[in-house]
Amino acid sequence: MKKHVLSALFSALFLLTSALPFSGLAQTTVDVTFWHSMSEEAGEALSRIVERYNETTGAEEGIHVTLVYQGKYVDSVTKMNSMLNSGDTEHLPDVMQLDATGKIVYGAADAAYTVDELLQEAPDTDLSDYLPSALQNWNVDGVQLGVPFATSTTLTYYNKTVLDGLGIPAPETLQEIGRIAAFPLEEDATVYACIPNTPSLANWLGQLGSYLVDCENGSAGMAERLDCIQNGALETFLQVWKDLYDTGALANREASTDEFAAGKLLIMTASSSTIASLENKIGGRFELGVCAYPKVNEASSSGATVSGSCLVMFDHGQEKREAAWKVIRFLTGPEAQAEFAMKAGYIPAVGSALQTDTWRSFILQHPQYAAGAEQLALTPVMMRSVTVGPSADFYYSIMNDVSEMLDQDLSASETAQMMEEDLTGMLEQFARNNR
Amino acid sequence: MLMSLKRHKKREQARAYLYLFPILLFSVVFVYYPFLKTALFSVSTVNFMGEITGFSGLDNYRYLFSRREFSAALGNTLRLTAINVPLTLLIALCLGKLFSNSRPGNGLFQTLIASTMAVSMSAASMTFRVLLNPTIGWLNAFLGIGVRWYEDRNTALYGILMVTVWMGIGFGFLLFQAAFRNVDRSVVDSARLDGAGGMRILLLIELPLIRPTILYSVCTNTILALMTSGPVMIITKGGPSRATTTLIYLMYTTGYGSGNYAMAACIAIVSFFLTLLFTLVSLQSNKGEGIG
Amino acid sequence: MKKHSFSLPDAALLLLRIFLCLLVVFPCVYAFLGSFKTADEFSRLPPRLFPDSFLNLSNYEAVFTLAPMGRYFFNSAGTTLLVCIVKLLSAMLAAYAFTYFDFRFKKTLFVFLLGTMMIPADTVIVTNYQTVSRLALTDTWLGIAIVSFAGASQMFMLTQAFSQAPLALRQAAFLDGCSDLRFLFSVLLPYCRPVWVTLFMQAFVAQWNAYLWPLLVTNSDRMRTVQVGISMLTSTEDTNYQVILAGTVAAILPPVLLFILVRRLISHSLTEGAVSG
Repeated sequence: MKKHVLSALFSALFLLTSALPFSGLAQTTVDVTFWHSMSEEAGEALSRIVERYNETTGAEEGIHVTLVYQGKYVDSVTKMNSMLNSGDTEHLPDVMQLDATGKIVYGAADAAYTVDELLQEAPDTDLSDYLPSALQNWNVDGVQLGVPFATSTTLTYYNKTVLDGLGIPAPETLQEIGRIAAFPLEEDATVYACIPNTPSLANWLGQLGSYLVDCENGSAGMAERLDCIQNGALETFLQVWKDLYDTGALANREASTDEFAAGKLLIMTASSSTIASLENKIGGRFELGVCAYPKVNEASSSGATVSGSCLVMFDHGQEKREAAWKVIRFLTGPEAQAEFAMKAGYIPAVGSALQTDTWRSFILQHPQYAAGAEQLALTPVMMRSVTVGPSADFYYSIMNDVSEMLDQDLSASETAQMMEEDLTGMLEQFARNNR
Repeated sequence: MLMSLKRHKKREQARAYLYLFPILLFSVVFVYYPFLKTALFSVSTVNFMGEITGFSGLDNYRYLFSRREFSAALGNTLRLTAINVPLTLLIALCLGKLFSNSRPGNGLFQTLIASTMAVSMSAASMTFRVLLNPTIGWLNAFLGIGVRWYEDRNTALYGILMVTVWMGIGFGFLLFQAAFRNVDRSVVDSARLDGAGGMRILLLIELPLIRPTILYSVCTNTILALMTSGPVMIITKGGPSRATTTLIYLMYTTGYGSGNYAMAACIAIVSFFLTLLFTLVSLQSNKGEGIG
Repeated sequence: MKKHSFSLPDAALLLLRIFLCLLVVFPCVYAFLGSFKTADEFSRLPPRLFPDSFLNLSNYEAVFTLAPMGRYFFNSAGTTLLVCIVKLLSAMLAAYAFTYFDFRFKKTLFVFLLGTMMIPADTVIVTNYQTVSRLALTDTWLGIAIVSFAGASQMFMLTQAFSQAPLALRQAAFLDGCSDLRFLFSVLLPYCRPVWVTLFMQAFVAQWNAYLWPLLVTNSDRMRTVQVGISMLTSTEDTNYQVILAGTVAAILPPVLLFILVRRLISHSLTEGAVSG
């Protein structure tokens, strides 16, 4: 008896689902396939923007965007790799959202239709509205691959309620963070938790006027050695880091947003796009403070590099190319960028978005959301995010080495030497394989 | 007579190959053929597009063995396996024995325990990540302890073990409770009439009778444990300070995450032979069972 | 003898069973309870087991509004069944050959097939993509399923089970004029039903939970599976546990229903065996 009920239920479910309608397209429209990696709030915001495009501008121009989720960045890059590898370029999308890990492979692909190629076809294309630092981030070896779409940077988040209560202003340097340890805090509270990785180390080295690796952090060619050894920048930073640990303010582990939201961690550094979900988690229990990325010391410059993702195109004939670029223009236009920024915490990648009324009134109500854009404007242009072949290895090796320094009480110079060995080995191995 | 026996043998051979054909076809096309490419990668220079650009002999292996990550990964993998396999076996055996008879409520218990195997690896990892979170996790609060689990290099590996062992319990339980129920009751009953106690029956009669299931469980669990990577990827990313890096996890970061396909291939090959070694040893130690 | 009387050790044993069962199932219970929490409930101290309200279904809403989950469930069910059937059938045939036939390279072939279990799945992905794409199977159910057809683990277990079956069974069947295939399907398989049903479930669960390959080999939203849908609930930057847990609970329901269904099959066959034995 029960078996029958179940099987009836199952078949009803199947019938229902298979009967679900799938959007039929008008015949005259150009279909643009757009692979994205946005989930949660950002995913919802993106589908609303694309829906609106299809109903308004797209309908007028005869373009229909089909939005396809392709998993996380790492998954979609794997997918792109496999397709390029098997020569299956026909199933590549027209527009794709790509993060830094996909830069090198995309740049080498024949099927790619870079912005540089677009500029050759349409020389009067105007890119001046894009924020220079964000646009630069997607320029590899002098070739502009795509345009910034979901732009973020690393910021300092702090528990404003607790810090205000102790009379501590927003911390600007790592030393100021260290001084907080001397204040009477709750017993199980941690001031700051962090293990430096590639981007955060590049930020701090950049503030000291140094690159992490040569070729301007790998953006002007294939990096083969570290750039922060001879100028002593790495050792300087490691010493600061060790001193911070000795004050007791620094916990040698990665910050967790949950710990922060629970009020047990006072300061953390994280992506500007964390802000929306972080506010959800805090749920108004305390006031969230947002300020610029901490400086290594008083003398260093401030700022942090751009991260996030861009939009790139693949070549499927002229008609599709033109349509793809129109879609990208819409998605990186002022309205779309402002909306995306408000819903998902990304930074508008075009200057005109910052001037829209929606953005201005939004910032008045939510001043925390302005910190990212402000920081990007202040960041020196020489601070570039790191592009290296062995990106994952690099990332974890830096974390492991720095964390080992604190765990095993190694000296800053010993650690710098160890890091040079580990990281240079990876770069050399990569260079050998790709000569 | 001799002729017909020979012909019979021949026909049997032909039929055997026919029966083996589908699984062999699938294995060769979708597992061994790609794996052969992997083996080729491991002795070549391979660019970030995954194209072979030259022959490199054993250079890749030499570099791999010199990496500090590799020895850490090998050690962690072996440690995980050494604890995981016996522990999972013991828990699954005990649960299987305890719930094998038809007592009131056992049907419900069996379904509940067995259905834990339906939880995907990523879901299980996420759940443990929350559960063992030192601040918002329920476990520390309930036990009143302050262990930092996945953030402490001394406990992180045990945290990973908790996930992998838990994931193995559901299926192991299902296997063993079925095996215990299938034990011939008449043998057990006659032993009981001879005055054998419960423990003696378990050790001397039931366990030997379910030996094939134990062998299967040990073999598959060893293989799974040697290839542990999912929970590491989701929960600890190999940290803190390489305390949870495993071979297959290293294969991901160093290979696919870093465009170094030759290195990924080397690790795959090392892991393959390591696993093969372990499997052959356990099959050998069970000579006389099944096909062995 | 005192099978039906109720005694103190029995009560203690029952309590022990309840306790152990709860212990094993606890992570699932935790996930279920967590799926009703809100984001800020999760980071409220001290951590609590129960949500404020079981009526907070917003996480489940998120699961079903973000993607056409109905279609995803349909695809997952279809491809999973396809994999299970082909996998088990080919494993059964192979196990039969290994148990009852004598042939050259028997041991070598057995280890050769077992060897497929030792190859890390993701080393074969790129090449398999090329193969499947050459066969023009991308974006199809068969394309999702075909790479998982080889079931060495199932073959291994079935060989163990078949070799446990009394040889007399086969002799009797052959005297009755049975062929190999008929013996396999009408005598041997019913005889060891618990084993292959268990293996079926194992294969089902593994395929149901597959993520990377189904994502790679499908291009359109129409062909996506449940696990791909669930990954849309988690962001790269940060994690909303409560929504993931809701997705998890929704995704394990079909396999659990199958379990309840199948458990009857197993116990049924066991009593059947008891009667005839």
